[in-house]
Amino acid sequence: MSNKKALVTGITGQDGSYLAELLLEKGYEVHGIIRRASTFNTHRLDSIYTDPHFPKHKLFLHYGDLADASNLSRLIGKIQPDEVYNLAAQSHVRVSFDAPEYTTDITATGTVRLLESIRETGIKPRFYQASSSEMYGLVQEVPQKETTPFYPRSPYGCAKVYSYWVTVNYRESYGMHASNGILFNHESPRRGETFVTRKITRAAAHIKLGLQDKLFMGNLDSKRDWGYAKEYVEAMWLMLQQPEGDDYVVATNETHTIRECLDVAFARVGLDWHKHVEIDPRYYRPAEVDLLIGDYSKAKKKLGWEPKTKFKELIELMVDADLKLLSDQLAGKVRRAE
Amino acid sequence: MMPSALITGITGQDGSYLAELLLSKGYVVHGLVRRTSSLERSRLRSLYRNPEVYGKTLQLHYCDLEDATTLRRIITKISPSELYHLAGQSHVGLSFEIAESTVDSVAVGTLRLLEIIRDLSAPPRVFHAASSEIFGRPSSMPQDEQTPMAPVNPYGASKAFATQLCRIYREKYGIHIVNGILYNHESPRRGENFVTRKICRAAAAIRLCLQDELLLGDTSAQRDWGDARDYVRGMWQALQHPTAEDFVFATGILHSVRDVVDRAFSEAGVDPGRHVRQDDRLLRGAESTSLVGNPVKAERVLGWKRETDFDGLIRWMVQAELADLKAR
Repeated sequence: MSNKKALVTGITGQDGSYLAELLLEKGYEVHGIIRRASTFNTHRLDSIYTDPHFPKHKLFLHYGDLADASNLSRLIGKIQPDEVYNLAAQSHVRVSFDAPEYTTDITATGTVRLLESIRETGIKPRFYQASSSEMYGLVQEVPQKETTPFYPRSPYGCAKVYSYWVTVNYRESYGMHASNGILFNHESPRRGETFVTRKITRAAAHIKLGLQDKLFMGNLDSKRDWGYAKEYVEAMWLMLQQPEGDDYVVATNETHTIRECLDVAFARVGLDWHKHVEIDPRYYRPAEVDLLIGDYSKAKKKLGWEPKTKFKELIELMVDADLKLLSDQLAGKVRRAE
Repeated sequence: MMPSALITGITGQDGSYLAELLLSKGYVVHGLVRRTSSLERSRLRSLYRNPEVYGKTLQLHYCDLEDATTLRRIITKISPSELYHLAGQSHVGLSFEIAESTVDSVAVGTLRLLEIIRDLSAPPRVFHAASSEIFGRPSSMPQDEQTPMAPVNPYGASKAFATQLCRIYREKYGIHIVNGILYNHESPRRGENFVTRKICRAAAAIRLCLQDELLLGDTSAQRDWGDARDYVRGMWQALQHPTAEDFVFATGILHSVRDVVDRAFSEAGVDPGRHVRQDDRLLRGAESTSLVGNPVKAERVLGWKRETDFDGLIRWMVQAELADLKAR
């Protein structure tokens, strides 16, 4: 077992919670940064606290914020992590059009605050930056790989491109072991409810159980490369175990439309989505991205990583999880709205 | 036309009660919410799930107090008749750990808001939620609207800064801004890491054999504790008054943490002696003195009344915890 220490920003999110579980299983001491809020926001970590096979005494949560530079420096100096995973961000593309300044402050400037904190403390942790397929935006080639030029189409995408380059720059300028994982869309039952796959699987479960009738959607022809988040966090860890920092595309190399997602999700519960879905132009993005599809051959070759759970299986496992969650809620077993 | 109000901090204890109050008075209520990856808006759940309310008379907008451009766009678009500014990192103990972001949200966030309001052709009436923590180590007991500020923690210092700026913008630009200097006010919606809620929850959990021990810091610490519902009614009353002034909202009565423990455990029917222990790690560095407020001005000028006393407050909170834990 390892006695390494990892620091995870964004630990309360989908990826952060899966990564924390993975690292704890590997024997790491895991430190997470959480934002202060007047409501508890750590429910994705519940399984760590309730499942006895996770060593919960090795999980430490600290209040902090990527906007708070002094607190970040103090935490890094105190924890002295061997590995830092920067997963925190304002990560919703549509919201980044509504709140671009805040998105930039956290998603772009937050990364350089973290890198600067690391540089100043003088410790040399390995650094993982959660880069995104949204950096490709108006795609310059299909499929996209590590050498494909970026053309971001949202404030979120622009901020992620900055973070990508500043990570490369700290690797080249200061010899830091820093890596970018360019992750294409990755989903799970823990995906936020406002993201399209989860919105669909959750609605399918609600409609099946008679709690909802209509589902309002944007552009059904949008295509994405969707993988399973639980497998993607393994790629993050693998990147930091390599002798040198580098950049990798993590994807499935398959693309599917929102329409197909509706097909699979509603078929799983034995319903016809055409009877329930209505188009609402408010859900259209101001600037839509093109055909995002990722070529993960470098990750396969160098990290030995490849996706196992493909589109249909992924959507079905999400529908099943939402059905179970909802049934438990109706039976009074789970109180939380999520 | 229906009056409209904008609430910053609508997902918090006060924001949620205030939203309910204003909706019941026929307002269209707009709230600012921070984007998070989980939709944790538990205090607004009943409103949120009501299709007659959510998206109609209650509208939520993604915005952070750090984000000046978004703040400006939303306020200009809504152009509310009243603005209740309740948002900010509000935990005193944590304000030592996350000082920079506390000051940014509480102090600079208020300044950003004032700067936007200043530019509006028809500025709203503004209620600023100031805090008894601005008095810190006060020169007089009880404190009133004239007591000099002497904060002793980053949260109090930020609130003092924001309170002074509100006074300055009121005088300099003639904006209708009220500072409500709020003493501690509690409810079943209080954050779980605040002491009253922590005690009431523990008393209920011990009663139901779900917990065995409660660890507390200094139980001799005294506070002036009221009922949050009374305080949000005070906020609304303060903005209906024709002139913009500052008001202290308090009960004028001190109780110790020990008193909360005794009341709560007695309400739950358990013996505190067997379950409560002091933990020195929970002691605060620089403790504020026993702050107690004089609410005479709010009572006289606004006709503000409190409907719940200390015993009634703790009873309500313990019963709510018992009901909640039993429902699980």
